[in-house]
Amino acid sequence: MAAIYNLFIINKSGGLIFYKDYGSAGRMDTNDSLRLASLWHSMHAISQQLSPTTGCFGIELLQADNFDLHCFQSLTGTKFFVVCEPGAQHMEGLLKVIYELYTDFVLKNPFYEMEMPIRCELFDIHLSQAIQKDRLVLLGR
Amino acid sequence: MQFFGGSAAADMTPSPAAPPGTATGLAGNNANMLYIFNRNGVCLLYREWHRPLHTLDAQQDQKLMFGLLFSLRSFTAKIDPTSVDKGNLGVPLFPGQGCSFYSFRTNTYKLSFMESPSGIKILHLTIDFIFLLFAKFVMRSTGVKSSSMIQHHPSSPSPLPESPDLDKFARSSVASCSISNEIYLFQFRTIHVLKYHFVT
Amino acid sequence: MIGVGGKIKQYSSVLDKPLSKGRQEVSLSAFAFLFSELVQYNQTQVDNIAELERRLEDAGYAVGARVLELFCHREKGNRRETRLLGILSFVHTTVWKVLFGKVADSLEKGTEHEDEYMISEKELLVNRFISIPKDMGTFNCGAFVAGIVRGVLDNAGFPAVVTAHFVPMEGQQRPRTTILIKFADEVLRREAKLV
Repeated sequence: MAAIYNLFIINKSGGLIFYKDYGSAGRMDTNDSLRLASLWHSMHAISQQLSPTTGCFGIELLQADNFDLHCFQSLTGTKFFVVCEPGAQHMEGLLKVIYELYTDFVLKNPFYEMEMPIRCELFDIHLSQAIQKDRLVLLGR
Repeated sequence: MQFFGGSAAADMTPSPAAPPGTATGLAGNNANMLYIFNRNGVCLLYREWHRPLHTLDAQQDQKLMFGLLFSLRSFTAKIDPTSVDKGNLGVPLFPGQGCSFYSFRTNTYKLSFMESPSGIKILHLTIDFIFLLFAKFVMRSTGVKSSSMIQHHPSSPSPLPESPDLDKFARSSVASCSISNEIYLFQFRTIHVLKYHFVT
Repeated sequence: MIGVGGKIKQYSSVLDKPLSKGRQEVSLSAFAFLFSELVQYNQTQVDNIAELERRLEDAGYAVGARVLELFCHREKGNRRETRLLGILSFVHTTVWKVLFGKVADSLEKGTEHEDEYMISEKELLVNRFISIPKDMGTFNCGAFVAGIVRGVLDNAGFPAVVTAHFVPMEGQQRPRTTILIKFADEVLRREAKLV
C-alpha cells in the first residue's frame, strides 16, 4: 500500500535534479524520468499561457484515471511534484514539507551546486522520514 | 485532412451574446470556454463566455491547447504508476489507450477533459469564481487576518465587501446558470457540427 | 549564540546596553547560509581537502581568540583558568553554552594517550545541514569548531593540536562529531608540577 508512487524535483530550466520511486509498477529508466521531467516543465509553462485570466502559476493538480499528480512551484521556479493514489489527501502539505527539507538540507549545504542533481545524505534521510510519517498518518485513519 | 491546426468552417460563427445583465466590470469571473477537437487536432468548435484575457489569436490558442492535450496524454500514459507496460513517450495514442486524465487545475482555472471512443476530445475550461470572490474581497482586504472567521464589518475603513459589488456578483453567478443552459443548447448544435465534419 | 528564533532587543545607545550577555540569539538559517558561504569561498581557494580543513580551522581560531577574551571578562571577572581540567570544562560548558546554546554532549579523556581529550557532540550545530559528498572522504566541517577550541586553548596558554572527526555510533544513522584535543608536552609538564 503506497499513497505516494514517486517524487520529482525539477530545476528552473526543466532539468530533473531529484527522482525517487516509492513502489510504482514497471521500472522507469533514468532517460524516461528525465524526459518526463522536461515534458512536465513545458506543459506547466503552456498551461500558464492558456489561462483565461492573468496571474496563473501553472498546473497544481492533475487528475488522471489511475493517479493524481500534485505540483508545487517555488518562487524561484523549482518544481516539486508527487504522483499519488487518486484522491490522496494532504499532498499540498507534504509538498511544503519537502520544500522545507530542500531549503534546509540542500540549499544550506555548501557542497551542493545550484541547479545540479541533489546528492545530499541528510536530505535523503529526512525525506524518507517525512514520507514514512505521512504513511503512518494514512494508516492511522 | 489537416493535422494540428486550422479550424473547421463551423468555428467561424461568433459566440452568442452574453446573457443580459452580466456585462458588468466583473465579467470574466465566471468565464467558460469550450473546445472540441477531432482526432487529428482540428478544432471543430470553440466557444467562450466572458473570457477576460486573450494572449494569442484564436488559431494559435487552439493549436497550443491541442498540443498541451497531446503531451499530457502521452505524459499520463507514461508516468502511470499502476501499469507495467508503459510504451514510449511521444508516440500518438489511440483513444482509450493507456492511462488518460480527466481534469487539471491551476490557481486560476480548471480544465475538464473527455475523449470519446472515436477520438473526439471535448474540453471545458472554467474559472473557479468562488475562489476569485474570496481572493478579491477577503484576501485583499487589510482588515482580515488569514485563518480568522470572515465577517462583514460595515464600519471598517478597509475595502471589505461592499454590498453593491456583492450584489453584482450574486447576479452574475445567477447568470452562470443561464450559461449552463446554453451549453446544453450547444450539444444539439455540436452534434450537427460533428455530423457535418464526418460526412464531408 | 545561535538559536532558532528569538528577538534581539534594540538599544538606542550603546551606553544603555547592559554588560551582561543576556539571551542574544542569531537566526540559525542566517548562520547556516553564512557558514555555507564561508566553506564555499574557501573551497575555491584551495586544491586539496587538507588545505580546506586548515583554512576553516584558521577561521575558527580567530573566533576562539576573541571568544576567550570576551567570556573571561563576562563570566569570570577577567580571570582565566590556569589548570588543564579547568580550561577544558570552560570550553565544554561556558564556551559551548554561549556559542551553541547548550553544553557539549560529553568530555572524555583519551584512553590510549595521556595528553588526549575528546569533546563529543551528537549533532554539531555547524554540521546540521551539511552532507559531506562521498568523494571528500572523512572531511568534517567541524574543523571550524576545532579551530575555535584551539583558539581558546592557545590563547589561554594551553597550546594544543585540535582536530574534528566523524565517529560512527552504534544504532545511529548519523555519526557523531568528536573534537580531539592533543595538548603540547609543555602543558602536561607544567600541569604535573602544579599538582
